[in-house]
Amino acid sequence: MLPVISIILATLAVGTVATFLSGTKARWVALAVSAVFLAEVGFLFLGYPGWPGYSGALVPGFADSETYTWIHLSWMHVNYAVGVDGISLVLILLTAILQIATVVYSWGETRRPAGYFGLVMLTCFGCFGVFVALDILLFFLFWEAVLVPMFFIIGYWGGPNRRYAAVKFFVYTHVASIVMLVGLLALVFYSGATSFDFSSVYAAARTLSPVVQTFLFLALFFGFAVKFPVVPFHTWLPDAHVEAPTGGSVLLAGLLLKLGGYGLIRWAVEVLPSGLHSVQPLLFVIAFITIIWGSVLSLAQRDIKRMVAYSSINHMGIVLLAIALDSSLGLLAAVLLMFAHGIVSALLFMASGSLHHQYGTRDISTLGGITPSAPALSTMIMAGSLASLGLPALIGFPAEFTAFLATWNGLGYWVLIPLLVLVITAAFYLWMMQRVLFGPPKAIPPVVHDVPWYEGVGMGLLVALTVLFGILPSLLVNVIVNSPIKGWPGT
Amino acid sequence: MTFLSFAAPFLPEIVLLAGTLLVFLLDVLNVRRIEVVGGISVGATLAALVLVIADLGFSPLSFLSTIPASQIDVLPAAGAAPLYSFTSFGLIFQGVFLLAAFFVCLASTSRPSTERGAPIFYGLLLLATIGMLLVAIASDLIFLLLAIEVTSIASYLLVAYTRKDLRGLEAAMKFFVIGALSTVLSFFGASLLFGAYGTTNLYLIRATAGAVGYPTLVLLGYGFLIAGLAFKVTLVPFHAWAVDVYDGAPDDVSAFLAGGTKKIGVFAFFLVFLGPVLVVGASGQSGYGLFGGSVALGPSFQVVLAVLAVLTMTVGNVLALLQKEMKRMLAYSSISQAGYMMIGIAIGSAPALAGATLQVFAHVLMKTGAFLVVGAVAALGVGPLITDWRGLGVRRPLLGTSFALMLLSLAGVPLTIGFVSKFVLFSAAVDAQGWFIWLAVAGLLNSALSVFYYARVLKVMFFDAPPDPDPALAGAVVGAAGPPVLAVGGLGYGRAATIALIAALIVVVGIYPQPVLGAIQTAAYHFVNVGA
Repeated sequence: MLPVISIILATLAVGTVATFLSGTKARWVALAVSAVFLAEVGFLFLGYPGWPGYSGALVPGFADSETYTWIHLSWMHVNYAVGVDGISLVLILLTAILQIATVVYSWGETRRPAGYFGLVMLTCFGCFGVFVALDILLFFLFWEAVLVPMFFIIGYWGGPNRRYAAVKFFVYTHVASIVMLVGLLALVFYSGATSFDFSSVYAAARTLSPVVQTFLFLALFFGFAVKFPVVPFHTWLPDAHVEAPTGGSVLLAGLLLKLGGYGLIRWAVEVLPSGLHSVQPLLFVIAFITIIWGSVLSLAQRDIKRMVAYSSINHMGIVLLAIALDSSLGLLAAVLLMFAHGIVSALLFMASGSLHHQYGTRDISTLGGITPSAPALSTMIMAGSLASLGLPALIGFPAEFTAFLATWNGLGYWVLIPLLVLVITAAFYLWMMQRVLFGPPKAIPPVVHDVPWYEGVGMGLLVALTVLFGILPSLLVNVIVNSPIKGWPGT
Repeated sequence: MTFLSFAAPFLPEIVLLAGTLLVFLLDVLNVRRIEVVGGISVGATLAALVLVIADLGFSPLSFLSTIPASQIDVLPAAGAAPLYSFTSFGLIFQGVFLLAAFFVCLASTSRPSTERGAPIFYGLLLLATIGMLLVAIASDLIFLLLAIEVTSIASYLLVAYTRKDLRGLEAAMKFFVIGALSTVLSFFGASLLFGAYGTTNLYLIRATAGAVGYPTLVLLGYGFLIAGLAFKVTLVPFHAWAVDVYDGAPDDVSAFLAGGTKKIGVFAFFLVFLGPVLVVGASGQSGYGLFGGSVALGPSFQVVLAVLAVLTMTVGNVLALLQKEMKRMLAYSSISQAGYMMIGIAIGSAPALAGATLQVFAHVLMKTGAFLVVGAVAALGVGPLITDWRGLGVRRPLLGTSFALMLLSLAGVPLTIGFVSKFVLFSAAVDAQGWFIWLAVAGLLNSALSVFYYARVLKVMFFDAPPDPDPALAGAVVGAAGPPVLAVGGLGYGRAATIALIAALIVVVGIYPQPVLGAIQTAAYHFVNVGA
């Protein structure tokens, strides 16, 4: 069988290096790499059950798992092991989509384009690696590898306060990673796993006592929670998202936040069921606080980008809630939510970036009535906002609906908390649209062009996907439920 | 035994000695051009390095091997007291030492070709390297301490070789006084141990250690020895000299001191506490050094070493955080890195030893490289403060990217050798279980702490606007607002090549450590289980 995943990794690695070296032609190279990557991901999908046109046998556990010895010492065996299941596959699709959308959207980047596009490629390479890694060290390696390019993207191409934001981002997430690493190492050595592989850790960890599992779960959760981010570890997010250039914000919100959710599902929830069980109440409390806090703070923002950033916190709170439910429906909802939020938040960050390019400000109260002067941009903002607040037929709806259904099944009337918060979410989006898009024009400068073609294409792609998967969420659902966990068919 | 068969195993040392004498001879003959003496030194260190790698059993080079396989990793006959013995572990250290010397020799060829004192610099550097090689084969306390002395005396002189520089002279003076004190302490400790064991041979000590037990004499002896060696390794609280010396010494010499000679102390620790002295545990498996086997020197010593390790890491890191000058920051970070190596000694298992050794190897690359970059940047006319490096990473991509890789590696960011070494070391600590896991936690917390000051330098180098006019552009033919300088301009090819080579090694070994790590693991296992 073709080692598809390794080939994709190699494509991205070579593509990243080529982009760095291609000088002013970098955007073309980056586009080519992204297109190839997307095509390869499509090929990967064709080989997976649940996707239309599938024809092939499911490898038990993970499709396309590839394993080679990497570090072999007397007391530890680290393999290069990669593989995908439905959950990672959906997030890989998200990676490919956002990569190409970001490249197209950033077509006009003129400040050291080779560095910029190279770092974008590197970030996506790292994210893809996290989603396919089935070995603890490999996972951690890619996890950290995402950190460095993002640090440079924020710090060099970012806004006025970028240096502070970049260092804060780096320090927060690096410290969290280190705690996570202790947890992962302890997971291997205390469980007596024979190697760092997911399969052997998975098998060995079940023998651990609930108390040990709880401690390990907490250590891992801390690492993932900062990436998520959940309250109170969220303060790096508004700074990083707002100061990052638009492409950076897109990758941050669209991909990097998903690493936390994915890591929690793959390495904590699946591996340490008793640990999850004992910290469940804590997770619920954190999730509720995060949902409420993110939403309320969004309402209070004047800067549209900052508003979107806080709404990300709110959405990731729902993801955490869905994961913490420990049910198959909850996991399905979490993955759908992550995909939906990836597309929609990317769209909204792009839109607020374009707004800033065209009007020189993102301040909600300064802007007004931009629809006549920039109809395309207004459409994008509207599509993103409506998808984000969960309008049916757009991608946010099936995801949130599943999440609330799962919450109702698991927690009963507690579902009222996220439902009521949804009202706040709807309120701040509608209020923003009312002030920015409609009413008498009061934009500065008064006469502007609509978005440039490349920004329009980048956002248009995402709008199209928002509609496509909003109408046909089953495309994703069928893939996700073929994962070998939680009583789904793939088990 | 013919003279030839006696001398053959010492071929690397002989090559270096020949190089040293040749360089000094050329000095007398007034041939002082750096291309000549530098070339000889680069050739000598490279040849010695190749010979050592051949001796390590690297098969494509086996025809160059001069040490018979039957002489490596074997216990001497009972009662024999050899001054030296060849262990694969020691050979690995020889390789590491030679690598550091090679880097410094190669980089220094880029100094002005008519600079005064070049032969002195190279001659002393080769001489110090000979001492280091001898340390790595010692199996007798006196031999060990004398070999350390060879290196030390050469390095005191190295610090002051320019003779005109007052800061260098002051640093040399301080280095000499502290070094002498450390020597006295070590020898005093060794003499107490002689009193206790009736021998200074490490194999004989190993044989009698169980019977002698742990009277006050032994405890005092090891105590003084630890203190003496701790000066060499710059363990807190024996570290105060290091920063002033690294700061005051010429840049290339700092690179050699921090990257190279410091490691002889680390090896001496391994040798005295884990090597031939080891009392293997009842199972015959890799026990926990001198301390964990059926005959323990007392866990209290292990605690002492662990406390030294944690203190060194923490104090080094905290002080590094407070520094404003690049060189002093690197000096403190070098101190904290020594703490990581001490973790391996405190644990004492074969995995921990392997981790510490990889950390030594990593540190040679990172710190030698970092000081060489500092030297290159200073040669461009950039000031000593961290803030003087504004925008340098963008203006000089080769220097900037390489230095960034070195710092990321020091901070333990994945895909660099610094990550692998810390990963192996901390996983060995977790693997050893018991209270050792706290050493891993302390190490990890320190890694997290160190990120602060490394990230700050990256921020200054890449995100801050470069000063105008920009000294970093000196020697390059572009305007002040021009594009980044991709060419070697103003650096010199030797220096540029060394820095690029080190950066490449940091990444390559970081991604695929198995060849290096496998060799180190095997050697470490043999070392703690001599003859097993």
